Amino acid sequence: MDLIYEGNCWKFGDNVSVDSDMTKKEFSTQRETRHEVLKDFLMCGIDPDFAKKVSPNDIIVGGKRFAQGNPHIQGLLGIAANQMGLVVESIQRGSYRNAINAGVPFISHAAGVTQACETGDRLRVNFTTGLFENLTRGAAHQYTPLSTDLLETIRIGGWKPMVKLRLQKMGLIPA
Amino acid sequence: MGATITEKILSRAAGRPVVAGETIFPDPDLVTVHDWYVVNFDKALMELGVPKLFDASRVLICTDHEPIALSREAAARQKAVREIVAKYGIEQFFDSGRGGHGHVFPMEMGIVRPGMFVFAYDTHVTNYGAVGALGFAMVTEISEVLACGNVWIKVPETVRVNLHGKLPFGSTFRDLAQKLTLDLAADLIDYSVVEYGGPAMAGIGIGGRQTLCNTPLEIGAKSAIVEPDAWTLDYVRGRTDKKFTPEVSDPDAKYKAVFDISLNDIEPQVAAPPRPDNVMGVSKVEGIKVNHAFIGSCANGSFEDMQDAARILRGRRVHPDVHLLITPATNEIAAKMASDGLYSIFVEAGATVGTPGCGPCASGRISPLAAGEVSINTATRNDRGRMGDPGASLYIAGPLTVAASAVAGEISDPRKFL
Repeated sequence: MDLIYEGNCWKFGDNVSVDSDMTKKEFSTQRETRHEVLKDFLMCGIDPDFAKKVSPNDIIVGGKRFAQGNPHIQGLLGIAANQMGLVVESIQRGSYRNAINAGVPFISHAAGVTQACETGDRLRVNFTTGLFENLTRGAAHQYTPLSTDLLETIRIGGWKPMVKLRLQKMGLIPA
Repeated sequence: MGATITEKILSRAAGRPVVAGETIFPDPDLVTVHDWYVVNFDKALMELGVPKLFDASRVLICTDHEPIALSREAAARQKAVREIVAKYGIEQFFDSGRGGHGHVFPMEMGIVRPGMFVFAYDTHVTNYGAVGALGFAMVTEISEVLACGNVWIKVPETVRVNLHGKLPFGSTFRDLAQKLTLDLAADLIDYSVVEYGGPAMAGIGIGGRQTLCNTPLEIGAKSAIVEPDAWTLDYVRGRTDKKFTPEVSDPDAKYKAVFDISLNDIEPQVAAPPRPDNVMGVSKVEGIKVNHAFIGSCANGSFEDMQDAARILRGRRVHPDVHLLITPATNEIAAKMASDGLYSIFVEAGATVGTPGCGPCASGRISPLAAGEVSINTATRNDRGRMGDPGASLYIAGPLTVAASAVAGEISDPRKFL
């Protein structure tokens, strides 16, 4: 099954901070993980009303070192809570794992993607194949998708469902 | 093709030869978890229905981020941590006053030794590279490690840094480490291990080695490690009789890049807000008034750092507008501070000496800043809200610069105080 998101583009620059830009810092230090709590505070350090403007299947486009900082998962869970996808020029590695763990479909190394779109453009992204289409501009770009096993973790909802399956396979919990 | 230290350590942990780029499930020699995250991993394991740890004898718990409970909630969490430690039968439990900073005391006590592979619920586990051990942070998935015994990783590439020469008068290894965050570009360092070697290493002790292994992760390194040398063997053998197997890179090991760095012209460096790699020479920020100063953290809480602070503070007073907090990383360092007279130098200078551990660096639970205040400190990060109110400004520097600035009441070049 393909992971294809079609929606509006929301573009950010380089060095978006996972703690002070992507969520409320307090959520990180409190280790808050509930989607319903984190949903409304996505990107609140940059735009307090951001979560009110977005819709499911919209796509966040970021520059280099997206989600940099202490690798807390809360900002990534905020993206998952809003059912959005993510395409970035690069992502800090702790946040790379956390995006997978949060179940966010993403493309991790989309060179030049911030030049390929603007906020408000209509995008269609196939996270399985790496095909990025800007429907507003009528242009397409091919990026490297995540590996099949990481996409499978995202497809089933992230770390928790994945680790449940692993524990069952290892016989550590009942199937 | 030869192997890097990282590939050798991970090959042993994976039970087969591995090379950079492979996805593996390495078995750790040790798993460390700090403070209240014990409550979170217990909750995760209970939700998953996992009743026991993969191997409690390989788990170490420490209380360092908030070693003195500063609220009723923190007291309740500490109580819960003690109960959870007992429930899982974890014997390596270093509560408040029993060890200090979990990224430092396990090396002092010989628990972490050369060649070991460690998973930790905290990013600065890279410190263990100071003794030739490889530490990888694992955040959400630490519960998976504790239940299953491992988790997937991609074997990282290695960037080799050969150090030459000697630091000039008035500079510290933090100044070198911060300069390196500029010189080793983030795009290159991304998910690499920084491996230190070269002739200058022979003159660098445990404090400097920890500092050098601490900072690269702030620009995206997976870890950092010093190639074990004669110093390493002396240090470790002086602290434990347990066996260890140091690993060094083969001469034909494949590196992503090799840098040769001279220490001779490293000047005092300051990282201005909002990121630790926003580094510049101290002259660019001299004169900025400060209200708060801190010397400590896993980056700069060593005895050498305390000695550097004392070089400036001996016979001087902290500026009336500044609160200076000094936190030795461990109990051992605190005891040596007392026996060597450093403690009284700090107290007579008007500094506050804190409980061994992270100090305010752990999200400002201890001694946070108010909006509009300015801190200069040796903490690990300086993003908004890292040390209290998001409206505070955080400058990072070496211990000499921080001590000099605390005395002057403004960011100052320490060379004028030595």
